[in-house]
Amino acid sequence: MIRDLRNLFRHRQLIAILTSRDLKARYRGSVLGFFWSLANPLMLLFVYTLVFTRFFQRPDIPAYPLFLFSGILPWTFFSSSVIESTTAISGNAGLIKKVMFPAEALPLVVVFSHLAHFVLALPILIAAALISAIAGTSSMTISIVCVPLLMILQTALVAGIALSISSASVLFRDLRDLIVNLLQLGFFLTPIIYLLTAVDSRVIRFLLRLNPMTPFVTSYQNVFFFGSWPATLDLVLMTVYAVGSLLTGLVVFDRLRDSLAEAI
Amino acid sequence: MTAAALSVREMSKSYNLWGRRSQFQTLKSALLGRELPPSAETSVVALRDISFEVARGESFGVIGRNGSGKSTLLKLVSGILKPTTGSIEVAGRISALIELGAGFHPEISGRENIFINGIMLGLTKREIEQRFSRIVEFAGIGDYLDQPVKTYSSGMYVRLGFSVAVHVDPDILLIDEVLAVGDEEFSQKCIAKLQELKFKGVTLLFVTHQLDHVRTLCDRALWLDDGEIAAIGDPVRVVDRYLQAVSGSEILEKTEPESPIVEERDEEPDSDIDNDLLEEERWGTGEVLLDRVLLVDAQGEQLIAVGSGTSITILMDVQVRKPQTDFVFGIGFYHADGTCVYGTNTDLEGLLSEELNGEARVKFIVPSLDLVGGAYRIDAAVHTRNGRAFDYRRGVLRFTVGSRVHDIGVYRPKHEWAFEGEVQLKRIDDPNRNLPAAMADYIKESETDADPSKYRKRRRRKKEPAKDSS
Repeated sequence: MIRDLRNLFRHRQLIAILTSRDLKARYRGSVLGFFWSLANPLMLLFVYTLVFTRFFQRPDIPAYPLFLFSGILPWTFFSSSVIESTTAISGNAGLIKKVMFPAEALPLVVVFSHLAHFVLALPILIAAALISAIAGTSSMTISIVCVPLLMILQTALVAGIALSISSASVLFRDLRDLIVNLLQLGFFLTPIIYLLTAVDSRVIRFLLRLNPMTPFVTSYQNVFFFGSWPATLDLVLMTVYAVGSLLTGLVVFDRLRDSLAEAI
Repeated sequence: MTAAALSVREMSKSYNLWGRRSQFQTLKSALLGRELPPSAETSVVALRDISFEVARGESFGVIGRNGSGKSTLLKLVSGILKPTTGSIEVAGRISALIELGAGFHPEISGRENIFINGIMLGLTKREIEQRFSRIVEFAGIGDYLDQPVKTYSSGMYVRLGFSVAVHVDPDILLIDEVLAVGDEEFSQKCIAKLQELKFKGVTLLFVTHQLDHVRTLCDRALWLDDGEIAAIGDPVRVVDRYLQAVSGSEILEKTEPESPIVEERDEEPDSDIDNDLLEEERWGTGEVLLDRVLLVDAQGEQLIAVGSGTSITILMDVQVRKPQTDFVFGIGFYHADGTCVYGTNTDLEGLLSEELNGEARVKFIVPSLDLVGGAYRIDAAVHTRNGRAFDYRRGVLRFTVGSRVHDIGVYRPKHEWAFEGEVQLKRIDDPNRNLPAAMADYIKESETDADPSKYRKRRRRKKEPAKDSS
């Protein structure tokens, strides 16, 4: 375990350079280039605002677009990383079979490049939260300082899942379709479009908390929408999920590593 | 050549066949850390009970038909695959050239790809910066450095890949079939580079179909046949046996009684020469025999020591047991360390064989033997045009070249020094200048261009035009 972590640290330059390659290659040749990383979430926010203030009104939650936006950004980071990690290794067969290459770098590159997109979208979220707070439809306090902590924990959670899924899907190809469908269900099992506290049944609330993304999304909503600190229960859950996921990911990857080059 | 750089012990490798039904089974057993019992239906054996060692600094060739397990062997050594049973021990930093340019991203520039590829091969960013200009220079991609790799020709792509990989400075370099790509000029450049690495003490392990490379570059060779070792040892001999097997001819070597081939040597071995290293080996079908091979001077006197720049002749008395129409005479000069100094044959020089019916005498005349002082040996051979040996005599002649000047290398071109202007030198004959010191200077000189500061500066200068283009 310690050895695995140390190995990852040893490959940090590789992971860093592959991540930047990923980001550069993504926008290479397009006119707006990196601006798309800002433009995409901005457009998304614009569409939400248009739809939910002009066409549908949500009287229960004021500034509903901001509420939605603060939950959807971390969810997108999570779900696109997980989906993309199913092909992180199998899509790079050339590297695994032809180069002496630390395979664990590949799912992590996926995670970090999505983290980078998340980070690029953050200024827009912060700006929107600020405007909304000034308008008095939501609030924003010093609690925003805990965003880096949320991000670190979420990255650990996502990295652990990505490690497990990337290696397992090489041996078990059906995993990809399974994951895509599970994530669609997961979107509604996470309190993104609704408030967790608005759920009446205690049992269902408990079950929703078993979803590892629930404490993260509610915490981001607390910070950006309600201007409050993350709940203690959520902090505990986030830590447990993050550490548990990372450890499981490392163990699973370690077990499957030797069969990757052959099975791919 | 003391410690083993690589030792493979009783290693076998079987591949599982990944059927759809077994997929979930495989995942489960891998997760639970249990071995799936290998059964005949679900696995194929790629390598069976392979054991060999490669000494440090040795260059070792692996040959064999397609599907004989060569590439699998290389992947096992590099650690990409894990052996099913047995063990592999590797001492030192290892770099593998299994596919050139694997891992290049088409959308980004050559410059960035050099960094990414270098880091993949285990260098740090700083190490790449130090080597950067050498890598670019060797690859010869010049103006294209800041263009995306997708605009490169396949030749440029391959050159860049090779260049990065050989500049990793590994202790052990594994090469799979990469010398076959690129044009003739680059192929020569690659071989020169590999020879340079060999000189620096890098252990080389090749997989190749180009048997000439095995003959000229390798110290030893391994012939894999259907996952098993068919032959291992002297490269020329192994290649020859391989060729005989491929052409389907019988190996007469074994049926031929040893006695008529072995001949009494009339000259006394020179005490300067290490006899163990230069012991003669001989093989072939025996249909044509090189009965006597002699090294003589212009007057016909037999030679053991030769002065640099004197005239020599190699005499070969040929005996024929079965008349031939397809035959080639070949000569090879080797330095005592195994480096091929020169090799040629009648076929290469455009002498087409017509008839060989009875006793004959072949002379190879060198008007001026421009070799640097040292111990050398000569291989003499007669074989068919496709390389099947009638009689191959490895190290049949051994001689030393004496020289008053302790210059280094193997070849001494005819030369003189000339000085013009404000420069003065005085000729002294200093017999005490010893070889090791000169060698040390030479090595130091060739390593000074590894000075990192120099390279960083140069790189920065080259980076400027890139800013305009982006």
